[in-house]
Amino acid sequence: MREGAPPGFLRATGAVLLKDLTLEWRTLDALSAMGLFSLVVMVVFSFAFDRSLQQQIGSARLVPGVLWVTIAFASIVGLTRSFHLEHHRDSITALALAPVDRAAIFAGKAGANLAQVLVLEAVLLPLSAVLFDFDLVAVGAEMLLLVVLHTVALVEIGTLFAAIAARLGRGEALLATLLLPASTPVFLSAVLSTHHVLAGEGLAPARRWLLVTAGLDVLYFFVAMLTFEFVLDE
Amino acid sequence: MLEASALTRRFGARVALDRLDLTVAKGEAIAIFGPNGAGKSTLCRLLTSTLKPTSGSIRVAGQDPRRQELAVKRMFGVVSHHTFLYDGLSARENLLFFARLSGVRQPAARVEELLRTVGLPDRGDDAVRGFSRGMQQRVALARALLHEPEILLLDEPFTGLDPQATRWLTTTIAELHGGGTTILMVTHDPARGLSLTDRWILLSRGRLTASGDSAATSREMLEERLSAVGTVPGVAP
Amino acid sequence: MPSARPSRLPAVTILLVTTVAPLMVGALYLIFQYAPEERVMGAVQRIFYFHVPSAMVAFASTFVLLLGSVGFLWTGRRGFDYLAIAATELAFVFCTLVIVTGPIWAKPAWGTWWTWEAKLTTTLVLWLLLAASMMVRGQADNREQGARFGAILGVVAALDVPVIYKAVDWWRGQHPVVFRPGAGSSALDPRMRTAFLVAMGTFFVLYTVLLLLRYRVAAVEDRVRDLDERLA
Repeated sequence: MREGAPPGFLRATGAVLLKDLTLEWRTLDALSAMGLFSLVVMVVFSFAFDRSLQQQIGSARLVPGVLWVTIAFASIVGLTRSFHLEHHRDSITALALAPVDRAAIFAGKAGANLAQVLVLEAVLLPLSAVLFDFDLVAVGAEMLLLVVLHTVALVEIGTLFAAIAARLGRGEALLATLLLPASTPVFLSAVLSTHHVLAGEGLAPARRWLLVTAGLDVLYFFVAMLTFEFVLDE
Repeated sequence: MLEASALTRRFGARVALDRLDLTVAKGEAIAIFGPNGAGKSTLCRLLTSTLKPTSGSIRVAGQDPRRQELAVKRMFGVVSHHTFLYDGLSARENLLFFARLSGVRQPAARVEELLRTVGLPDRGDDAVRGFSRGMQQRVALARALLHEPEILLLDEPFTGLDPQATRWLTTTIAELHGGGTTILMVTHDPARGLSLTDRWILLSRGRLTASGDSAATSREMLEERLSAVGTVPGVAP
Repeated sequence: MPSARPSRLPAVTILLVTTVAPLMVGALYLIFQYAPEERVMGAVQRIFYFHVPSAMVAFASTFVLLLGSVGFLWTGRRGFDYLAIAATELAFVFCTLVIVTGPIWAKPAWGTWWTWEAKLTTTLVLWLLLAASMMVRGQADNREQGARFGAILGVVAALDVPVIYKAVDWWRGQHPVVFRPGAGSSALDPRMRTAFLVAMGTFFVLYTVLLLLRYRVAAVEDRVRDLDERLA
């Protein structure tokens, strides 16, 4: 037998990350589904809150809720697909058989999911700026920071739950039922921070929230890394 | 090489495997027969440590899968009736991915070597999606062999293969056996099972009900045993 | 292993079971007769004696769930799984009590059935997480998988709860502080305090009894399964 230890953690994570991103790049399967779905959701929100209401409430109060609800549901679509492709030819069993630390598989998949959702948000933000009439450029840097911070937490816990839902042979409905309550603090923080930024107050008033979210980024990471191996067991 | 002792696995009320004792020597080839639900897949999963036993013990090259999980996994190469491959990737990309995941030292070189071994040196860049079933199984076998495992576990590998692919796989397994790889093959085909192995065992309802020397067992004898426990020989139930 | 005659309940359990009934009767007396009627709120205020202890028990049970879940993932011992099952279900039941009694108080007090303030929202989210956890256990392929997934969700739910609470608290804050019920009264009447403490104690004894019994039921269910297989 060829001598060799199991691959380094980073190497394995990189392999999984590359594999997922390559597959997505080729098919654009998840991104197109997420993109189309978010567009539909945004349009529905536009109908739900008609023009006069939008002007009355103002974009600073309306947009955060609309934006983050859209991101929530669209990312659920993407997360479900991420594991659907692992079950297609039972690749998930091959991953479970691999002589590698399973936490690395989690890290790779979460990383790929993060990239996909960030790409989605890169499209969604300008789109919502157009649909709901606010100046994105003026608050660009702050929005970027807060979006990345919150998306990391969402994707971490989302990847763990998506793996569980896939293992049970269930899809988006179960994932939504698990993910949305569990990520309540992330959404509260996201909506509030976005509100402050769009109202021209910058990130300062939301400092506490951002700190909590950064803490959640770390907490969810460790919880998911530690418990993921149990998801891959039979 | 492999020692299972009083190996038991339950799923709630169902006993999938009941106090199984099995010893496999290094370099031996064993055929595992049995009807559906007999416990063959459960046994495979227990050996590769993707499933934990309810009671009993397993030793793979003297190591306990519960304590040395990664080391034990490293010893196995698995070919199933599912290919484990990603349809959207090319054969080469699939193999490179699994090579990196298994800690193969020089993945690129090893992948080229295996593509040649399985007879697909110039199809490496084609998407697996476009491959015939036979070609996919070749890539699947290459995948299993990437890290030079000591034990090759084959779970009904001939399913859905055309005659040419079947011939190729038969020859390859025989070569690997000759080369000293320990082989465990779950199969529904008595003739093939006997010709490729040293010994065979029969599982029924989680218990090892019969075993024998492959060379000393005739196909008819085996088929009789198989129909006695409910398998129709030659036909995958 | 399996014995011919049914095993007896441990002494502690018997003691608790026999104590809890008179305790509950005593508590009811204290709540409805002994404690004076609150000046501003009237009879409705008495719901506090049920609402607040239920909430305390629900969150205590979530902590027990955390212990059971971590214990099970770490050691794989089934006893921890039984504990997690019992804690999940009891937390769910007491959460339901909180969510039902809250609006009954809220309507006369705040003029609205529901409000998205910290404690109530956190309890609702916890309720959802527990419901999802029980659903996942039921949908699992086999018991071991159900136990593992239930444990993972238990860990996430338990760790999330304090965060959710703090988050919603910063976001809104309207819930009355416990020892100042309603507007107008500046201190808790000593009889109210007594009734409250007894109610609290009773709820915790009740919880402990239910936890022990549910644990036992889970263990017995498992034993039945084992015996079933031996006979199969």
